[in-house]
Amino acid sequence: MLKFAIRNLLSRSVRSLLCLMGLTIAIAGMVGLFSIAGGLEETVSQTFGRIKGIVAMQPGAPIPLFSRIPRSWGEEIGEISGIAIVNPEIWSRVNMIEDKPVISPPRFLFGTELPSRLQLKHGIYRDAIYDGRFLSLEDQGTLNTVVSRQIAEQHHKQVGDIISVNGQAMTIVGLYECGSMLLDVAIILDIDVVRDITRFDPNSVSCFYLEQSGEVNNDLLVKNIKDHFRGRELASWQPASLALANSSQSNILKDFVNAIDQSLKGSSDKTPVEDKANAKGKQNQSTDADAKIAESDQQQSALEVRSAADWGERLETFTADLDIFLGLMTGIGVLIAMLSIINTMLMSVMERIVDFGILKANGWSNRDVMLLITAESSLLGVFGGILGCILGLIAIVIVNWKFVNQVHLYASPGLLLFGVVFSTLLGISGGLYPAWWTTRMTPIDAIRRG
Amino acid sequence: MIEVRDVAKIHQSGETEVHALQGVSCHFPGQRFSFILGPSGSGKSTLLYLLGALDVPSAGEIFVQNRSLSTLNNNERDTYRREKVGFVFQNFNLLKNLNALENVLAPYLPLGVSTEQKKQAEELLKQVGLGHRITHRPSQLSGGEQQRVAIARALLKRPLLILADEPTGELDTKTGEEIFHCLRDMSEQYKTTVVIVTHDERYIRETDNILRLRDGKIAEEIVDQ
Repeated sequence: MLKFAIRNLLSRSVRSLLCLMGLTIAIAGMVGLFSIAGGLEETVSQTFGRIKGIVAMQPGAPIPLFSRIPRSWGEEIGEISGIAIVNPEIWSRVNMIEDKPVISPPRFLFGTELPSRLQLKHGIYRDAIYDGRFLSLEDQGTLNTVVSRQIAEQHHKQVGDIISVNGQAMTIVGLYECGSMLLDVAIILDIDVVRDITRFDPNSVSCFYLEQSGEVNNDLLVKNIKDHFRGRELASWQPASLALANSSQSNILKDFVNAIDQSLKGSSDKTPVEDKANAKGKQNQSTDADAKIAESDQQQSALEVRSAADWGERLETFTADLDIFLGLMTGIGVLIAMLSIINTMLMSVMERIVDFGILKANGWSNRDVMLLITAESSLLGVFGGILGCILGLIAIVIVNWKFVNQVHLYASPGLLLFGVVFSTLLGISGGLYPAWWTTRMTPIDAIRRG
Repeated sequence: MIEVRDVAKIHQSGETEVHALQGVSCHFPGQRFSFILGPSGSGKSTLLYLLGALDVPSAGEIFVQNRSLSTLNNNERDTYRREKVGFVFQNFNLLKNLNALENVLAPYLPLGVSTEQKKQAEELLKQVGLGHRITHRPSQLSGGEQQRVAIARALLKRPLLILADEPTGELDTKTGEEIFHCLRDMSEQYKTTVVIVTHDERYIRETDNILRLRDGKIAEEIVDQ
């Protein structure tokens, strides 16, 4: 029967090929679109899987870049039981590298307090050094920097070279590679140097990276830190402050971060604390960052404390929403492919009415004829699915290779399997109507049509 | 062997009813050659297809080996056609995507073809003179050869009944004679009852049964018991 079905398809090779192509492109499109979400999930997993510690930052800020908290809180956090090391960090967007504007992919100046950074058991960047060395205490106050392989290759630099960042000539002392688009964007310097370059408020930091001592359970530790800062007042981060934080150049970044922010806020149970400074229309965050004891009885924590798992979960919610959007887009292609199959099979069936009459005259039941037709459409579905997945994979490899710093697409084996199964089901369902159509005629009616 | 009792068949052509058969009753004895004759539109093909359960009568009953065809459900009708009846059509009606051997085996494709059936099919094709053409497709065969393939297909199931609708209608005289010769030889060998619809009376022998139809009714019935 299967051999017969294959021959029937081959006997109308051009039509079968066109139908196959339609299905192939639809499935390739589906694989390609869902690989966006897959790539994001994989990047998140690659990124947050490496982060052992927890991050304390401004409530509502989607990422440390937009967070401002008092520098002095670091000491208080360090006294909380279960905290081994508190590492203050400053993050700022880079506008120019080698006198060229930086738009996409974004690059960030990452200032870290070196004495505490060097005490960390697991230093993400320090552990990822593959050439040269990580920063040491001797690099405090200097423009010595560690950059990622991506940044070095993009600007044809190596260890020992000078790289101009925001007009500052920095000496590359080491190269790292974390293998994550979200991590391999940092130009690492001493925290005070970054503070000077970016005119960052001397009393604030972006966030604190906290390494646990292991004595206290992670969830309990997060709760304890939040409880410690509960009731204090701190300017809550607002998306509008992006304009200031980001200069003006990247609308793509702004939109992306806004989307993430909405997603994160959607699952957050926190109500932003009223920011008096913002209420007056001022956007100077440095002065707003001073902690104040709240007189209100709302008792919100003035610190957002996130573990890697927390980041991962929240971003998974975002990718789930993205999946819905991608599913809707894919649906259009799939609908066209399905109509193409129905059209092809219906035409094929109408042309072969006499054949089906002959088969029925020779004892084939309606079910047998339906099986033959759906076998043909299923074959189109299976091969369309396989070819679509291959085509999608090739496209993903090309995009990842061509835009290595900007995009990371990933099609999991599960997605590919789904592509083939879905395409097969599409083929079967596309053949059902034409197959049913043949059962409406008696054998003799079918033969007489010829 | 076949008993036709007061059978009528009405076709609907738009809003018009066409009375193809009107109260036909007749008898076709087993293991013999029977001819249904008559002008175009007399209802001969309609009667033939009713005998093969390709269609159902509007009234009356047909008994084959004392079993009424109207009592068969859909599955039983499929089985009846697959196991008991072989059809030979005027325009051969072979499947163009299958070769000669596969066309002979076509009735059994959904159930799976056994090695034994394949051997029988090859043997049948040799018997009808196509042993050297078994892998040829219909488009590579002449009209006479295609009709031989159709005869082999009809015979593979060792049928009770072969129903042939103008089997020589598209063949020249010489090939037509060869086909009839083939049909008679094979039916004698396989002890099969053969009912043939034709306009051409040249192939009728004295010992054959004749049923002549006109306007859906029996005009003449000659049954040699």
